[in-house]
Parts: sequence; C-alpha cells; structure tokens
Amino acid sequence: MYEPDVLVIGGGPAGVAAATELAMLGLTVLLAEQRDRLGGAIHRAYAGPGKNPLKVLSRHSNNWKFLTQRLLQAGPQITTLFETIYLGVDGEGRFLLDQRAAGRVVSVRPKALVLALGALEIVLPRPGWELPGVTTVGGMQVQLKETGQAPVGSILLAGNGPLPLALAAQLTAAGNPPVAVLERSQPFRAAFRHAVSAVNSLRSWGNVSEAAGYTLRLWRAGVPYQTGSTVTAIEAGPQGLRVTSQLANGVSRQHQVRHLALHDGLASNNRGLPAGDLAHVYVVRAGDCREVLGAGGALTDGRRAAHQVAQHLDLSAKPASFESRLGAARRTQQALAVLGQAPAMVPVSETVICRCEGLRRADFEALQGASSTREVRLVGRFGMGLCQGRFCARAVQAMAAQAPLPFETGDLGSSQPRWPLRPVSVASLAAYKSI
Amino acid sequence: MSSTFYWIGGLVSFHPGETIAAALRRADVEDFGLTTGGLRARYFCGVGACQACLISVNGASPVEACLTPAKAGLQLSSATPLSEVRHHV
Repeated sequence: MYEPDVLVIGGGPAGVAAATELAMLGLTVLLAEQRDRLGGAIHRAYAGPGKNPLKVLSRHSNNWKFLTQRLLQAGPQITTLFETIYLGVDGEGRFLLDQRAAGRVVSVRPKALVLALGALEIVLPRPGWELPGVTTVGGMQVQLKETGQAPVGSILLAGNGPLPLALAAQLTAAGNPPVAVLERSQPFRAAFRHAVSAVNSLRSWGNVSEAAGYTLRLWRAGVPYQTGSTVTAIEAGPQGLRVTSQLANGVSRQHQVRHLALHDGLASNNRGLPAGDLAHVYVVRAGDCREVLGAGGALTDGRRAAHQVAQHLDLSAKPASFESRLGAARRTQQALAVLGQAPAMVPVSETVICRCEGLRRADFEALQGASSTREVRLVGRFGMGLCQGRFCARAVQAMAAQAPLPFETGDLGSSQPRWPLRPVSVASLAAYKSI
Repeated sequence: MSSTFYWIGGLVSFHPGETIAAALRRADVEDFGLTTGGLRARYFCGVGACQACLISVNGASPVEACLTPAKAGLQLSSATPLSEVRHHV
C-alpha cells in the first residue's frame, strides 16, 4: 500500500509551493489536482494554437517558473494525480479521492494533509444572475487565459474590487474592451476618508505598477469606469442580456450586452472543511483557502504550511519565518478592502438565492416560521444543493439576520464537514480501492 | 491542429488542452440545458466550485464542463436531472 507522508490537495501556487517545500524537507508527497494540469486559476495555462497571444505579468510568470523548477528538482518525491477530486474523509480516517479519468475512488492514509483549495468569488444575488451568459469575473478571466481569446460580442463587467479592472484591461489587450466597468463602491472618495489605507494599498510596488498599467490601458481604450454603480437586474432577450444598473442618487441606466461578468470580492474556499485534525491526521490549510492574500501571498503561505507540517512531524531543524512577507500581503488586502467597501445589497422577492435548486427570496420568506438552522436547510433546501452553499450561504445568512428567526443565524453559513464535498458517480464509488 | 467532439449531436472543434467549457464558449454555446429548479445549466465560476456547468460525457453521470478536458469524439449532452424530466402520459 502506497502511503505518502503528506497529501496535498490543490495544484495552484499554494499547493505546489507546499508540495515542493515538503519534498525539500525530505518528505514524500501525493499532490492531487482536479484539472489535467497544475497552476490553479492564477497560472491557468494557454491551450490555444501557437504562441500565447496574451502577455502574462512578469511577477506571475516568474512565480510559476520558480515553482515548476522546484517540481523538477523534487522529482519522484512528489507523485501528482491529475483529474482527481478530493471528496472528503470517511469515518475511519480514509481520505477519499475521485480519480475521474480512471473512473474510481481511491483512498489514502497520509501522516498530514495540506488543503490548498484556493479562493471563491463572492457574487451577490441579483435578479437574473443565474442566466446563461452571466459568469463570474474570475470565470471569464480563466477562459481568456486558456483560449487567448476574449468572448465575441459586447461585454459588461460589474461588481466590486480590483479584479474587474484587471479583467477589463486584459480583455482590452485581447482586442475586445468591455463596454464599461461598473464598480459598486466609491474607491476614490474612500481614499480621501481613509488616507492610511490609501497609502497602505500603494506600498506594494507589484500591485501599484499592475494597477497603473491597467488604468492606463483602459483610459487609452476609452472604457468607462463608473463608481457607485450597482447592477440591479438582468434580463435575457433575443439580443442577449439587458442589464439595469443604478447609481447612488437613484439614476438608473441600461446596457444591452452579450456577456456580463460579476464579482463582489474573494473569500476562502473553505466550506465543509474540518476545523482541526481529522482522524489523528494533522490538517493544515494553505494559501487563499486559509486567508486570501493574493497570488504571491499564496506561494509564501504554501511554503509556510510545509514548514508547519514538518515541525509537527519533528523534521524541521530551524523553523522558517514567512511572517513578514505574509504581513505585507495582508496589509495590501486589508487596505484594498477598506477602499472597496460597498453598500449591502438586498435581494428582491423574485431573486434566485440558491443557484443550485432555483430557490428565490420568496421561498425563504415562506420559511418565516422556521425554528432552527436545520429546518431552513432540510425543509427550505437552502445550502443543500450541489455547491453545498458555497454561493448562497452568505446571502441566506444575511436574509436570516434581517428576519425574526429564533436561532443563531451564523450557523447557516458555518462549515459542516460532510462528504462528498463534490459529486461522485456511484460507479466510481463501486470501483473503490485503497492505494 | 484542431479536433472535434459532439455537443447534443452537433460538431464542436477544440484545441488539445482546452476544457469542454472553453471549447463550447468559442462555439457560442452558453445554454447547457435544463437543470434543477427550472434553471438552465451554464458556465459560471470556472474553477469547479459552483456546479452550474454540469454536463454528461458519453451518457455518464455529470461532470463539470469547466474542469473536464475536451477529447476527440466525446458525445456530450445536458445532464438534466431525472427530477426535471417531465413525462407526458
């Protein structure tokens, strides 16, 4: 039976940094990645014909070069399983992996587990956000990286934070600038009110030069950047999507577009994960899945997680410190969060809240008599769909907090470790074997 | 060099290394068919988290189009759950 010292879930920068650092510390690693190649969303590889037509920022390509070099050095100490989905851990401490290409579930018993599952985009519910043609900003961005082509037809980007701006610049470079970028917050006004945050956000040279490059490109292409603007409704028609947005002063306008990408920030992809050790196996989270610190921060945090594991297994001679670098990444993220603070959005009655089961706000209102979290989940089905609440729990929690429900609404958004965390075919479960 | 798979009977070309979702987008296929709650299956998050882009490969149980590599000759179709299939008697 194959027993790696450490099982690492996720082949993005945090997972690969953790795996290679663990190998350097003398440990054997099983690295499981859900796609057929490593890199995660940030280093999503170009898969089109010929040379990549899009330019990749040098600090990102340098990070990935560093990690691929380390993978080569690690050699056979790291075994990588591709197209392999982490399902969870069973009652007997077996970590279950769905090997999609082989059509079977396998289990493994490592001494430690590193979870590097990345970030999740927050998208707040608006009427029509469930329609085909509406994606997340990150979702549109990974396809742009993968194909080297912008979607054909008019594009609108909307939401909150720096990512929509970055994508707008990348779409412009790819030859199809968005018709506008609608930002819910008012970052320039916030910069006057929160001068310290404004200064802190400028302390990372990489971020500043990146943002300056994006802004310049958008300005040259004449892409409007509208602050204080919120998308309030999306309707599908024969011409594509009709998107209604509203300014703080109540003035509304409409855009007729083919594609809409939404983004309201990033959160750790940590739903359903264990809070502590599992079945006597040491569990460490790494990268955005522990704390959203951006691409560079994820790499550093992966290395930090590896040393934490090594120390637990009594292997690390000198504990390495990554705190100053993580602290710098944290200051940047916190400053950006202050500058991007946006007003709350209240979904109207017909808004789909749960995208998995098509449940609307009206369905939630019908649960007003609910006396427990369990009732909201089991009777109302909120948070019970295929995404397990990754995209609705935040909104359900906010609605519950507004409603006079007689229980701790925080429980609605909390993690309840249950497996499988992802869908798995019965045929693959039937073909189960331990490796 | 380009290869092809089938989406509900129609030919879609892809570049080796592309995901099914990327190839479908380039072919202008945005609606992946009926799914739970009367909604349409569609590409959304791109990282396997939202489960909105589930499709069926060669008639098997659903997988995320955004994660699954495109391969020549695959027969792809909607992964409409049985609960949404209406039977007319």
